Amino acid sequence: MFKVEDLRYKYPKNKEDVLKGINFEIKQGEIFGFLGPSGAGKSTTQKVLIKILQDYRGKISYNDRDIVAFGNDFYEDIGVSFEMPIHFSKMTAMENINFFLNLYKRNADVESLMKRVGLWEDRNKMVGEFSKGMKIRLNIVRALLNEPKMLFLDEPTNGIDPANAKVLKDLVKEFRDNGGTVFITSHIMSDIDQLCDRVAFIVDGEIKEIDSPRNLKIRYGRRELILEYKEEGKTVRREFPMDGIGKNEEFLELLQTKEIETLHSGETTLEDIFIKVTGVGLRNETE
Amino acid sequence: MKRNRILVLVKGELMRLNKYNVFAISILIALMWSAILYFLDSNILDKVLPMVLLVDATMMSIMFIGSVMFFEKNESTISTMLVTPASNAELVLSKVLANTVHNMFSSILIIGAFVWIKHVEINYLLMFVGITLATAFHTILGLFMAYYQKNFTGMLVNIMIFAFGLMVPTVLYMLNVIKGDWVQYLMALSPIQAASEVIGGGFTTYTYAWQYYFSLGYMLIGAILIYRFLVLPKFQDYAVKQSGV
Repeated sequence: MFKVEDLRYKYPKNKEDVLKGINFEIKQGEIFGFLGPSGAGKSTTQKVLIKILQDYRGKISYNDRDIVAFGNDFYEDIGVSFEMPIHFSKMTAMENINFFLNLYKRNADVESLMKRVGLWEDRNKMVGEFSKGMKIRLNIVRALLNEPKMLFLDEPTNGIDPANAKVLKDLVKEFRDNGGTVFITSHIMSDIDQLCDRVAFIVDGEIKEIDSPRNLKIRYGRRELILEYKEEGKTVRREFPMDGIGKNEEFLELLQTKEIETLHSGETTLEDIFIKVTGVGLRNETE
Repeated sequence: MKRNRILVLVKGELMRLNKYNVFAISILIALMWSAILYFLDSNILDKVLPMVLLVDATMMSIMFIGSVMFFEKNESTISTMLVTPASNAELVLSKVLANTVHNMFSSILIIGAFVWIKHVEINYLLMFVGITLATAFHTILGLFMAYYQKNFTGMLVNIMIFAFGLMVPTVLYMLNVIKGDWVQYLMALSPIQAASEVIGGGFTTYTYAWQYYFSLGYMLIGAILIYRFLVLPKFQDYAVKQSGV
């Protein structure tokens, strides 16, 4: 759906490129994530893709057509949720929504969207009276107003509580399940892990790795089993290599003779893999 | 049904002018001017009423568009406008149209009061044309000024400089304090003086001379040129900067 080739971008006041020749493709119907620390170039990439930043080098195609060739009808197809809540604070939620709704040819069912994010009851309240979580949920409604084919989400769960974060994540998954495509940037590992079909690790404007979270875990994870069992009133922990586990006599004997408390595969978190691959933590400290 | 996007944008701008109390302030100022002018002698009123309309169409237009731009800056709403099907030209034009409609409303209040109470004679069509041109020109100028200011205080300082530099000479010229052959040519270059001529043309007592026709062209062509070559090309940069990039 989106193909990015050798994308480079430099802010007018900077000496160096913020994006240093990145390449990736977003396939139709997938949730594609950009995971990286602050300042890695995630939001800049998004702003280039949505044509807010225009003086880039490289090529970006949307449905096999250079995005430069699109006029403003491009925005009939996409929905954007910025990191910060962006609304007219002295207007009610519905006044905000209705204003934007009238700018598009396609209109979503607002009542259903507002109910879905739990804002229907507050629709006639001034947005200025909303909490940050409510404003962010309204951001998502705003992004979905035109029934977009592609959704861009910049740090969508940043600063909201887990319950609201779950509502948003479920909405994004539902959007994907109905055929939509999503580009999501985040520094929150769990968002990417739970949502994304594929993820790109970006550090200092360069993509270090692209794959599905599952493949990354298999590729970079430790192939071992961790067993915890009771012995003389104490919990004992043992680690066994995954390879040939079915024939590992010590492991099999423990399973048969001991009171097993936990049994886990040595799956590495996406954050650990990110550090391993990039040498940088998601909080931007060099490991 | 396809909606007219410019109408939607203008309606939205007017709604926000109302919600952000800019309309209320504007009406209050119009009422204040009306009250002051009511107590003036008819001889003085003939001189002061055009001045009030001039201030309303020029300085107040710049001030109101400045306030709108800085409200939007505070709420970063301009970045969300950039990702709608509305073009930059439509976004800028809607602001100019909304500010012109808004200013026309307060001017009508002032004029209406004086036509009704003091029986001032007006050529309504020419007054409409004059106020529209003067307001649109100064709104576009105000947009350009807002691009280069970090906050509203900076904008106010610019407006004060503009007022002292251009409004004061115009007022002195209107009151015949400064006069002379060369002065009329020099004054013709001032946008405030041009606004004064096109608004003045709406009063039946106005004497039409070359200055009126020159000023009509000045306001119309000047507005188009500033919009086309200074305001529109810089809008994207301004909007991106406001979005926190």
